[in-house]
Amino acid sequence: MDFELNTDQTAILEAVETLLARQAGPERARELNAKGGYDAELDAALEAAGFTELVQGNDTGPLEATLVLEAVARHAGFVAYGATALVAPASGHTLAGPVALALAEENGPVRYGASARTLLIFDSQGVRMRPLEPGEAKPVRANFGYPMAWVPRDGGDRLSPDVALRMRAWSRVALAAEAAGTMKAALDFTIAYVKQRKQFGRAIGSFQALQHRLAQAAVQVEGSRWLAYEAAWSNAPNEAAAVAAAYAASATQRVFYETHQQNGAIGFTREHDLHVWSMRLQALRLEMEGVAGHQRAVSRARWIRAEA
Amino acid sequence: MEFGWSEGDRKFRQDLAKFLEEALPEDWEEVSKDGPGSDAQAAFSKEFSGKLAERGWLTQHWPSEYGGSDAPPWRHAILSEAMWACGEPRGPQYMNVNWIGPAIMEYGSEAQKSEHLSRISRGDVLWCQGFSEPNAGSDLVSLTTRAEPRGDDYLVNGQKIWTSYCQNADFCFLLVRTNPQERRHRGISVLLMPMDLAGVEVREIDAVIGDRYFHEVFLTDVVVPKSCRLGPENEGWAITSYALQFERVGAPRYARAALTVDLLAENAAAGGRLADPNLQEKLGHARALCEAARVLHYRVIDQRTHGLPPSADSNVARIAGTMADLAVGELALEIWGSESLVYGSVGDSNFRASMSAGIATGTTEVNLNLIAQRLLGLPRE
Ligand SMILES: Cc1cc2nc3c(=O)[nH]c(=O)nc-3n(C[C@H](O)[C@H](O)[C@H](O)COP(=O)(O)OP(=O)(O)OC[C@H]3O[C@@H](n4cnc5c(N)ncnc54)[C@H](O)[C@@H]3O)c2cc1C
Repeated sequence: MDFELNTDQTAILEAVETLLARQAGPERARELNAKGGYDAELDAALEAAGFTELVQGNDTGPLEATLVLEAVARHAGFVAYGATALVAPASGHTLAGPVALALAEENGPVRYGASARTLLIFDSQGVRMRPLEPGEAKPVRANFGYPMAWVPRDGGDRLSPDVALRMRAWSRVALAAEAAGTMKAALDFTIAYVKQRKQFGRAIGSFQALQHRLAQAAVQVEGSRWLAYEAAWSNAPNEAAAVAAAYAASATQRVFYETHQQNGAIGFTREHDLHVWSMRLQALRLEMEGVAGHQRAVSRARWIRAEA
Repeated sequence: MEFGWSEGDRKFRQDLAKFLEEALPEDWEEVSKDGPGSDAQAAFSKEFSGKLAERGWLTQHWPSEYGGSDAPPWRHAILSEAMWACGEPRGPQYMNVNWIGPAIMEYGSEAQKSEHLSRISRGDVLWCQGFSEPNAGSDLVSLTTRAEPRGDDYLVNGQKIWTSYCQNADFCFLLVRTNPQERRHRGISVLLMPMDLAGVEVREIDAVIGDRYFHEVFLTDVVVPKSCRLGPENEGWAITSYALQFERVGAPRYARAALTVDLLAENAAAGGRLADPNLQEKLGHARALCEAARVLHYRVIDQRTHGLPPSADSNVARIAGTMADLAVGELALEIWGSESLVYGSVGDSNFRASMSAGIATGTTEVNLNLIAQRLLGLPRE
């Protein structure tokens, strides 16, 4: 048991932070949001630096990939790192990236669908891997911080139910880490804002009514982060993965509300950075069956044990 | 960063579980229904803590010179978890080993160390915490219980309130004002006061959280020898802060809450109700809250293991623990329904135990203030 980063982890995080500070961040996200694109350059840079191979590495594993995913989310990266670097490896196949995730029984658009070359379609029997040909996915206008697209949900090669279960668990760990990083950035941005925004002759961040709500949100962000790391280190047991996702997905709601509320009207403008993270929180909250789905998965894994 | 248990930790957890099976009486649920402060549990705690001591587990995290075995904080955290999960069979003695003993190690005279530490590590002494007063709750430094020097003694007058466990206590870790001219943090001292001195009067306060929880302690012309003072005169605030620096994670309430959620689920399964998706969601949510509290508590234990100074992360853990406790307390009522209305029923016992989570040992709001200032760096109001 050790919550401190070891030297390798520190080096990985420092390297990825440097890369992200240069190639990601709110400016870049705003630009890509406007174009509806995908950050192929960031993807290439992450791959060139070896960050997409952490799960399979000799001295690295899923925890290191999860640490990187949290950082990518904090910097509002426009890449499908979670699905590609954390979920796809659990398939046991080499999948062409970027990878996107979809539920067969849902009809909505999926994140990064238009740029994905492989779609993982989860259904009641497990999961299918389906290559996506250019033009098969249809981009759709969306206001939730990620490029969204309609994707076909037919066909694909079915993987074994065990493998499907593993991938589903990894999708939950990835979701928790991504939510944690996104929430952290939205919260940090808001904390900086309330320290400098003055009303009634004082910084609004000095009002206890606001402080307590930010402090509550900070507890949920920290909880999400550590549950995600722990689940990743433990190889995504069904229960721990579902716990991390249930906790993080439900935290997004509060963090969304508090951060917008405390930024006032300017928080709704595209000029202000908040939306870069905050709107994403809603997309994450709904993903892969949403909060209620993760909560049911906790119950199934812990007390019913049939599947998760 | 890694989240595995050492071989030794794993084995300790197993040994402990085996030990608990034997050491807890058949009617433990009945004995423990009124919490660690009840007469029944206080009496049982001496027998039980004695057995823990025999195995070297009661104070294993203490230095060997004081009867411990220098075990890492994780060992003691595992013990605390197991104890709270089953309703704290150490009774009030968890305070002794968590913070009263360590405060005496750090600040005590040789005589105090030899008197108190050996008794605490044998498990046969009960302490209570005399901090709160009618007009000093969250704002504890406004306490006014007065200790006037009289030769080799202090003459103590004042009143403490909300004192848990004191009806059976042998000693009180008492905060007094030794210098009434000094305001606030200065001028407070700690007395290790025997509870059988003349002028100490304990009265129970009738309370809905259960019998034998709350008391008032009236102190009228109590003559306390100066040799009972812990550390230098007027330095009591620093001593108390030192003693309590990790106590926010000292009582892992989430462990009890998690066990209750398991019980709720088993109960629902037995009644064929666990297929209900709505119930699954509620149970899953409650489990997630308990798990978040657990990992955030572990984070603080880890900081302690690394010798890092205490930080607002302990307030974070405390808030997460309270959230879990409150949610599970409510859920227990909801799931057991009207059966919970019976005093001592599982729903009722859990609800009563959870009710005060956001008040005892520092309120939710005080913890949030500390997070806002120390972790988020927000300006004071
Ligand atoms: C079960 C239980 C056991 C206890 N055992 C002991 C014991 O053994 N020994 C002992 O000494 N004490 C004990 N206490 C007392 C406990 O420490 C106090 O209740 C606690 O510190 C709060 O003080 P108070 O009750 O006077 O509430 P107050 O301080 O009056 O607070 C009332 C409300 O005001 C809020 N408030 C106060 N100040 C602020 C602020 N600055 N900002 C925002 N909100 C604020 C509080 O958060 C709370 O919601 C126990 C309490 C309980 C419930």
